[in-house]
Amino acid sequence: MRVEFILNGRKVAVDVEPSETLLNTLRFKLRVKSVKRGCERGECGSCTILLDGQPVTSCMLLTLQVEGREVTTVEGLEKDDLFKKLVDYFIEEGAIQCGFCTPGILLTAWAGLKQGRFKSVDDVREYVANLCRCTGYVKIINAIYKAATGVAGR
Amino acid sequence: MSQLGFRFLARRTPRKDAEPKVRGLVKYTNDLEYPGMLIGRVVRSPYAFADIKKIDVSEAVRMGAVVITPDDIPQKPFNPRLVSVDEVTFKDTYVLTYKPRYLGEPVAAVAASSEELAQRAAEAIRLEFERVYKPILDPFEAMSPSAPRIHEKIMKGDKWIDVENNIAARLDYEEGDVERGFSEADYVLERGFKTGKRYHMQLEPKAVLCVPEPGGKLTIYTTTQSIHNTRILISQLFNIPESRVNVVKVPIGGSFGSSIQTNYLVPIAVALCLKAGKPVKIAYTREEDMLDHSNFVFHFKIKIGARRDGSFTAAEFTNILDVGAHQVQPYPLLGTSLGWFVSMYKWRNLRYRGIAVYTNKVPGCALRGYGAPEVQWAVETMVDEIAEALGIDPIEIRLKNYVGRGDIFWGQGPTVRSVIKSDGVPELLLKGRELINWDKRGRPEEKKGRYRRGIGVARGFHTSGAGGPISGEVIDYTGCILKLNEDGSLDYLTALQDHGGGTLDAHVKIIAEELGVPPDLINLASASTENTPYDVCTHASRGTFVGGECARRAAQILKQKIFETAVRILGRVVNPEALRIGYDEKLGETVVYVEGSDLKITLREIARTAWQRNWGTLVAAVTYRATSAPPSFTVYYVEVEVDTWTGKIKPVRVVAGADVGTPVNPDMVEGQLHGGFAMAWGMAFSEDTKYDPSTGEIMGRMLITDYKIPTAQDVLPPEEFKVLIANTYEPSGPFGAKGLGEAAMNPAVGAILNAVYNAIGVRFYELPVTPDKVVKALRERGETPW
Repeated sequence: MRVEFILNGRKVAVDVEPSETLLNTLRFKLRVKSVKRGCERGECGSCTILLDGQPVTSCMLLTLQVEGREVTTVEGLEKDDLFKKLVDYFIEEGAIQCGFCTPGILLTAWAGLKQGRFKSVDDVREYVANLCRCTGYVKIINAIYKAATGVAGR
Repeated sequence: MSQLGFRFLARRTPRKDAEPKVRGLVKYTNDLEYPGMLIGRVVRSPYAFADIKKIDVSEAVRMGAVVITPDDIPQKPFNPRLVSVDEVTFKDTYVLTYKPRYLGEPVAAVAASSEELAQRAAEAIRLEFERVYKPILDPFEAMSPSAPRIHEKIMKGDKWIDVENNIAARLDYEEGDVERGFSEADYVLERGFKTGKRYHMQLEPKAVLCVPEPGGKLTIYTTTQSIHNTRILISQLFNIPESRVNVVKVPIGGSFGSSIQTNYLVPIAVALCLKAGKPVKIAYTREEDMLDHSNFVFHFKIKIGARRDGSFTAAEFTNILDVGAHQVQPYPLLGTSLGWFVSMYKWRNLRYRGIAVYTNKVPGCALRGYGAPEVQWAVETMVDEIAEALGIDPIEIRLKNYVGRGDIFWGQGPTVRSVIKSDGVPELLLKGRELINWDKRGRPEEKKGRYRRGIGVARGFHTSGAGGPISGEVIDYTGCILKLNEDGSLDYLTALQDHGGGTLDAHVKIIAEELGVPPDLINLASASTENTPYDVCTHASRGTFVGGECARRAAQILKQKIFETAVRILGRVVNPEALRIGYDEKLGETVVYVEGSDLKITLREIARTAWQRNWGTLVAAVTYRATSAPPSFTVYYVEVEVDTWTGKIKPVRVVAGADVGTPVNPDMVEGQLHGGFAMAWGMAFSEDTKYDPSTGEIMGRMLITDYKIPTAQDVLPPEEFKVLIANTYEPSGPFGAKGLGEAAMNPAVGAILNAVYNAIGVRFYELPVTPDKVVKALRERGETPW
């Protein structure tokens, strides 16, 4: 079946199986490898994408469901100023270790920032539900909070 | 630290791979694709212990899949982990088997043109069972003479041995006179401890891509902590010369010990690839990953004797290790468990009995700390209890008895000994005491109300590598190549893997420090087994200490060659010793110069001249064995809050102290401590793969939701996590540096649960301490909160 949607600002058309997840379409048909496959059950957040600006796990969506909608991955935010700021804080704070969860967390954080959700450190801790096993989240939370307020939590 | 005048070390610097990682450009194994590639799937046993009569593959073959069964695999037993020497390596595993010994053990595999087709073909394979046994899940039951034997015969080195009472391996040890030691004690304490069977839950599930090359060669990309050991194992299993197997180093999404061994999917993919003659990729699902590896379960019995003054007279330690269905080198774990125990405190007289036992569970393998988090939790709990019984301050008793500077340290087991040269324990214990407000922590019986807070302390360590002056049972050496390019930049080649903690970034900074070349001119070159010297594995917190020192030595050799070349160019200089190298701020270049003169030449000019005048490449190839494995000490002070109604516990404040020698990058030191603490929190309160006693299946369908690891909400707000870095210098490390990855976690569980005791006056001896256990313990004490 043919599905059309907007991927990172560009219209794409792709033939998919009815049972195909957006995660697999992105990774294996559209070659967007920043979207990671961590559990395929909506638990870990490694495959997070933005669907019309909201963070969702792409393993829990059928590609058919995104017909006509806007899908954004980190590749699509490279020129976005807020994203650049967020990324700079991630690098500066040392919030990156193995990097596997990083693109997904950046997208969740970017959406939260864009929506003005982060008034306190606790707001960040509650909103960013993606799993990370390396960092203990401390520097990640710091980087996001810094991007929200210009002040680090430490 | 900075007073030593480092230019690059001991400073916060952005890591080289940060940019590609945030942009999602780093390719992990499952991101790789190859033209004509097939996707493989593994067929697993639905029973925990059974005999298969027949594997019917006809339907799968009809569907067009390439299928392998045990008949396609050389039937020689292996051990997937090659860190110990062969004589003490027990081999009991087959790539595919007709006798599955845990639920999920691979019995067949398929490869097809798409993942969906492969999955359908795998599901079409029919397994006919001869007999299904009741799984044995308890190691004590397994050791009883009436229990069925999980393994009959296994190999130790190149000899077949019988397995008696399901005992996989043993290690006993005795020092001094234990009976006399206990008779001299004023106080004797005996306790039993049990841990959960934790799963690594690294974010990246294991994956492999095997590509056949012309001339019968194979190229393998996989999630491994050791490319060389992966190559050796594949070479041995399939009888292919190592020169025809090339394992490429691919970035990995965390590991925590789960790929010290070659994961089971690698030989399966190789067998599929050999049969199909095409590239084959296998990427585990999360369920499969949980069926591939988890930790050992530790059952300890510990007895400690102490004098009234707080000194110890004797200790007895029994360690029953539930290893699961196959050995992933639990024998060295019997040694390290003892090593961690011995190196904690001066016991004076000691007896140890270590027994590794088979059960029908997922094979246990190393998980960050290799027994140290478990041993240090148990010891630090008991030391706290002894201090209380004797009326001694818990910090005092630790300072009085710990194994420190000048003592012999053998964390990695009896055959890996060295003398401790750097020790930040007193500094960390005393500074932390102030920062956490130790003296105001109060006593548990004074605390009332629903929410009660408590403060606890624990100290511990991990080794930096497993090297030593004498070659023992553990293999530990590394190698690297460093070359000066024609424009003065550098290529650095090492087989050593970076799990994500930034080990290789540390190497780059160490080379930068030695040569005055900025890190952005040092290339971490793509590495594989065919272009690097052997490195055993990134484990045992050896990456910075062993690999970093190898890199420094290569840089030192290269520096000598640079000087010799400079002498040739400069003419007036008498000899290489007259020269210095460093980064010239004004020029923005690395220069070679004579101190106190204006004689100076840029490294770029030296490199260019050597090239243009046909003098050859300036290159250093080094293979390096560390002659010590010094401890990196860590100290945790933790404050927790216990909700006595729900049994839920949350962290309030942490002071994490680390003695890492020179901190190569303080950001990454902090990152290890943050991550180590989070992992300890999970170990203390939630992490356990529970098995259904009748079927031997992991309960919760291998969902992460049921195997709960800490989330951002479960850990501390950043401002409450304080890191202390001790002011020490390790003489055997690169520029004074030691390891940290495991020490960052090891004592944390002990500190957390000592804090819980300080809050509610209850000790827990079985992990994880789930809320129901807390509530139950309080009720048993007569507290009914509502």
